[in-house]
Amino acid sequence: MNFPKELRYSKSHEWVRIEDGIATIGLTDYAQHELGDLVFVNLPEEGDELTAGEALGDVESVKAVSDVYSPVSGTVLQINEELLDHPELINEAPYDAWFVKVGSLTEKEELLDAADYEAFCEEEGKN
Amino acid sequence: MIRKLSIWVSRTTDPYANLAAEEFLTFHVQPDECILFLWQNAHSVVIGRNQNCWKECRVTELERDGGHLVRRLSGGGAVYHDLGNLNFTFCMKKEDSNVIRQMLVILRAAASFGLNAQMTGRNDAAVGGLKFSGNAFYDSHGCYYHHGTLLINVDVTSMSRYLNPSREKLASRGVDSVRSRVVNLSALCPEITVETMKEAMICSASEVYGIPAGPFDEKRFDLEELEHMRERFDSFSWKYGQKIPFTNRIGARFDWGEAELQLKVNRGIVEEALLSSDSMEAACFQDIGPQFTGCRYEAEALAHTLDDILNKRNAPETIRHDLRCMIFEHL
Repeated sequence: MNFPKELRYSKSHEWVRIEDGIATIGLTDYAQHELGDLVFVNLPEEGDELTAGEALGDVESVKAVSDVYSPVSGTVLQINEELLDHPELINEAPYDAWFVKVGSLTEKEELLDAADYEAFCEEEGKN
Repeated sequence: MIRKLSIWVSRTTDPYANLAAEEFLTFHVQPDECILFLWQNAHSVVIGRNQNCWKECRVTELERDGGHLVRRLSGGGAVYHDLGNLNFTFCMKKEDSNVIRQMLVILRAAASFGLNAQMTGRNDAAVGGLKFSGNAFYDSHGCYYHHGTLLINVDVTSMSRYLNPSREKLASRGVDSVRSRVVNLSALCPEITVETMKEAMICSASEVYGIPAGPFDEKRFDLEELEHMRERFDSFSWKYGQKIPFTNRIGARFDWGEAELQLKVNRGIVEEALLSSDSMEAACFQDIGPQFTGCRYEAEALAHTLDDILNKRNAPETIRHDLRCMIFEHL
């Protein structure tokens, strides 16, 4: 399981990279592993307003449909259209397969660093 | 940990009302509670959340026969429901869920009739390799459901008719259904009826969770919220208007020539269209495509739009009739 040090993580298993006031968000390696093979992705549209803690979209795996939550509040600048045709990219390279880039950030959830997130996943795996 | 088992048996066979009740129960279940919801839909095809209904189901034929197209919240493939099918939903908090334990309820219910059922495939329950139950899951904001079908004495001829559209020219995003060989439980054990299976599911749930089952207090339903949910499940935008873009080509050869209608569709609405024909009546067909833009992708709306144009252009009656039939046959 991969937990890149330069990223921040939410407890609902999204990764975030904030650079120059723009947040790039995706699903973590742990999440894609738990979900299994992904077969469909619903993304928001450019210009949509996101609220921290609310769903930004959802993913369907062979096991279930699950919400993907936004760890930040802001405006969607760009969506990764490639995922719409190739949801399997999330399984193959979760940290390259970003979902959205969000700007005009007004709020941010409390995020974990890589070590804390790894510990959090370990704890969750025991249940 | 589940400490309370509540049973709710639906009194309606309206599929949209049942899905509304299922959603309501899922979002209003208490911590440590499992609500077992048992329900039946009259004459419906229920598709997964992210499926293209036109690809998975003969929608026009189903609706012409008085059936309903239904899109559920959970993922997975298309299934056919009639009153020979019993549906179950386990509603609980995500942290209380355990797929194996929930599946065990189904397997034990089958075992109570002497059937040796097993979990197979993706999320199925089967006897001797033949599927009698398909299962799907949904979770949102910590609320969870696991639901599935139980084939008791479903009309399998209708099932395969509605679920087998030949749509070679339809190219779409969306989740594809996986075909399985199925079996009706009543064919394996004549004692199994919808009523006896309901009882068996309730007993089995009580045994698996080790607690008595009690009735769900219907005063917990908020009728206004339920109606609101029902309307959404029955709406055009939910059923047909999903963000699942696709293209389709509908064509046929007639006495008067060949015709093909190409359509590009998103959210259930035609974005682009092109009608081509080698007919001698070429003038009738000229620049007809753009007039479909904004039209709902459904047989009646498309046929009406086309017929309206052809009528204005004084197209021969046979051409109008043939093209109308072509649209109804292919949607």
